[in-house]
Amino acid sequence: MEWFWPEGFYTIVMVGSFVLGAFALKLPIAIALSGAAVVGALAGGEWFPLRHFVEGMFGYLDTILIIASAMIFMKSVQKTGLLESLAAWVIRRFRRKPLLLSVGLIFIIMAPGMITGSSTAAVLTTGALVAPVLIKLGVPAVKTAAAIAMGAIYGMIAPPINIPAMIIGGGIDMPYVGFALPLLVCTIPLAIFSALLLVYPSLKSGAGDEDELENELRRMEETPLSARLLLPVVLLAVLMTGEQLLPSVWPALGMPVNFLLASFSGLITGRRFNFLDASTEALNEAIPVLGILMGVGMFIQIMTLIGVQGFLVVSVLALPAWLMYLGMATSIPLFGAVSAFGAASVLGVPFLLALLGRNEIMVGSALSLLAGLGDLMPPTALAGIFAAQVVGEENYFKVLRYCLIPALVTALWAVFVILNANTIMGFLP
Amino acid sequence: MKLKGTPLTAVLLLLAAFAVAALAGLNFKAMWAEDDFVPAQGFEKKMLSAWFEGLAGTPADTPVYIQKGTEPGGVVLILGGTHPTEPASMVTATLFLERAQVTKGSLIVIPQANLLGFTHNSPQEAHPQSISFTTADGGKRTFRFGSRLTNTIYEWPSPDIYIHPASGQQLPGKERGNLNRCYPGVPDGSITEQVAYALTELVRRERVDLAFDLHEASPEYPVVNAIVAHERSMELAAMTTMDLEAAGIMMRLEPSPKNLRGLTHREWGNFTETMPVLMETGNPVQGRLRGRTDERLALTGADKAYVKAAALGRLYIPYEGDQKIEYRVGRHATAIMSFLLNLDLLNEERGVLLENIPTFEELQENGVGAYLAPLKL
Amino acid sequence: MTLIYRAIVLFVLLLTVRCQFREKDFWKQATAALVVVPLVLRLLMIK
Repeated sequence: MEWFWPEGFYTIVMVGSFVLGAFALKLPIAIALSGAAVVGALAGGEWFPLRHFVEGMFGYLDTILIIASAMIFMKSVQKTGLLESLAAWVIRRFRRKPLLLSVGLIFIIMAPGMITGSSTAAVLTTGALVAPVLIKLGVPAVKTAAAIAMGAIYGMIAPPINIPAMIIGGGIDMPYVGFALPLLVCTIPLAIFSALLLVYPSLKSGAGDEDELENELRRMEETPLSARLLLPVVLLAVLMTGEQLLPSVWPALGMPVNFLLASFSGLITGRRFNFLDASTEALNEAIPVLGILMGVGMFIQIMTLIGVQGFLVVSVLALPAWLMYLGMATSIPLFGAVSAFGAASVLGVPFLLALLGRNEIMVGSALSLLAGLGDLMPPTALAGIFAAQVVGEENYFKVLRYCLIPALVTALWAVFVILNANTIMGFLP
Repeated sequence: MKLKGTPLTAVLLLLAAFAVAALAGLNFKAMWAEDDFVPAQGFEKKMLSAWFEGLAGTPADTPVYIQKGTEPGGVVLILGGTHPTEPASMVTATLFLERAQVTKGSLIVIPQANLLGFTHNSPQEAHPQSISFTTADGGKRTFRFGSRLTNTIYEWPSPDIYIHPASGQQLPGKERGNLNRCYPGVPDGSITEQVAYALTELVRRERVDLAFDLHEASPEYPVVNAIVAHERSMELAAMTTMDLEAAGIMMRLEPSPKNLRGLTHREWGNFTETMPVLMETGNPVQGRLRGRTDERLALTGADKAYVKAAALGRLYIPYEGDQKIEYRVGRHATAIMSFLLNLDLLNEERGVLLENIPTFEELQENGVGAYLAPLKL
Repeated sequence: MTLIYRAIVLFVLLLTVRCQFREKDFWKQATAALVVVPLVLRLLMIK
């Protein structure tokens, strides 16, 4: 009880007022979160610490810019007709090879995440490209979204760039060197599993009515696929890979600039569209997510201020050894509701310290995989929310339902890798 | 709860947003007010830009204080405030700045190495904005408590990945604002890399014999209550560790890892002639297991979450309920004095000796404030 | 580069305000207002 009071009480107050706001009062999640932060501060005797509320938001300022610009990019390539036209081409070419198609597409979804370290980037770029292909080929929209969300998360964790792993390593001054193979061990089997589970069965059974599909494909090909139409995607790929692979010569533009440049290039390709209106439309869809990030920022700052964070972290660390792995596999993704990066820093580092003695690179990689799952956890659930948006599904919880099995398998795989870290490392060259 | 939105409500909400931004903005701006230091007699004040002109006129140009003793000897640097979230570092440097009487050689003190780190707090850390001490005359000395990183607006946008120029080491992009990952620094790099460059230049051109970089670490981090020494500093550090243990101050001695780049104990060793030494004390307010975060925690280190973590065997320091700043500053100050004696023993020509620094026991008894100079109004 | 990013912040800020005025739901307007706060402070390089 001495441990519980008052921080445990504050935890209940903060989570409780969030639940009350979001579900009973049906407020937007952003408002419910900021409201819960205000209530938490009051309960913790801090009155109305305006500075803390605003300071907390700044944790996600760069994320906001990336999301806003990525959404603008996605709207642009939708408006030019590129998305549909490219999808039609892929369908014609690979329809008869479902196994290759399902595994190939998952790796295509992963690619931008691997290069940028951001699941949002993956969902909103190749995820958006792949979505119409899968849907037209008979994969239900929510399953498509689930596959995109999972692929994006594996992409974010797969090498060369994995920011949670860098954060976890940075916490114990471990350089980000030698992570490539361990991270592949953590992600590739899971990516293949997810493709086979979510995509392959529907692709194999086919879309059904061939004539209808043919008509649909004709409509999608209205804007012919040309090198010019592909310009935004090619430009984005060049900008992103150039920045990551040739850092010594390439200017560090950063993702927002890359996305916006690629979106501008859409203006000289394909169907004409009004850039300002497309951007406004993009932002209108993004604002709820941006607002959630602001709310989360406030929430986490107050949690830290009034001691809830330490209460939660040490409570998890206090679990008995056999429960700790369960605690790890649940608490890191759960904390990812705040942000995958936050989970890596707040919980990933203490767990890595608690596991010193096992191969640290392998353990760090597996912990980063668990942190990546955080991008599925509501209310932020960045990967889930955007994947739902990409397939036009309003309720992202429906998407998350299909992510459940792959996510569970992912968590189990992460724990398996941690338990056998030294053995697995021994197999690697 | 459905409510209709109209252009009027939009205007009102927008005005509210501006008002919130304005009020918070005033608070953030207040962090730019500089802290007062009262150097002891004999200190000459220069600016870091004297060693690298590129910093002149920038808000990163931090004061450097130099005192020369009457007897010739070597040169010692005490670098504080690399990470403003590690207050014992800045406070120890301040203690030397405000008290030291150098009898032999020269002493260089920089209390706020990353001055731009003191001008803001990191988001979601909920750190206090300042810490205060009561001086012997009952007055108050207040210092800013900042962020581990350079103020974001001077390092923005940060790259996705920070590639350490001298080695190609990859770190999360924000680490470019971490002074102790930027050494040896780059003259035309980011502002933090320029500060690192200037400090390396200072060490090189002033022929600093022994350079202290003072830090603190989370109690759950293995390198804590520790000295990290470059190969060249190892003999001296080993002697000092033994002396400290004899005096009842347990200290870990860690060799500077060769593949961890950008830190003083590696780069000053590789790029200058000095003997670099980095020291860590245990500081709950920067730890990830900490509970309620405020000025009290920064000064006392008393935290029930750490008590529980200690009982679980998760900590690398003996933790009996607190980790007072007197204790942390006392460790740093005593270790520095012990290093100086051993330096003089090993190489008399390059020795540096000084007086008037309170002992470990005196600090525990009277507190840090008692040894800070009262502010003259 | 900082100037380019300030321009991006300004662009996103203006779009956010535009969306706020087109929005018919009060709470969604409030969400937009929440996003405005840090954007303004960064645009002015205060935080």
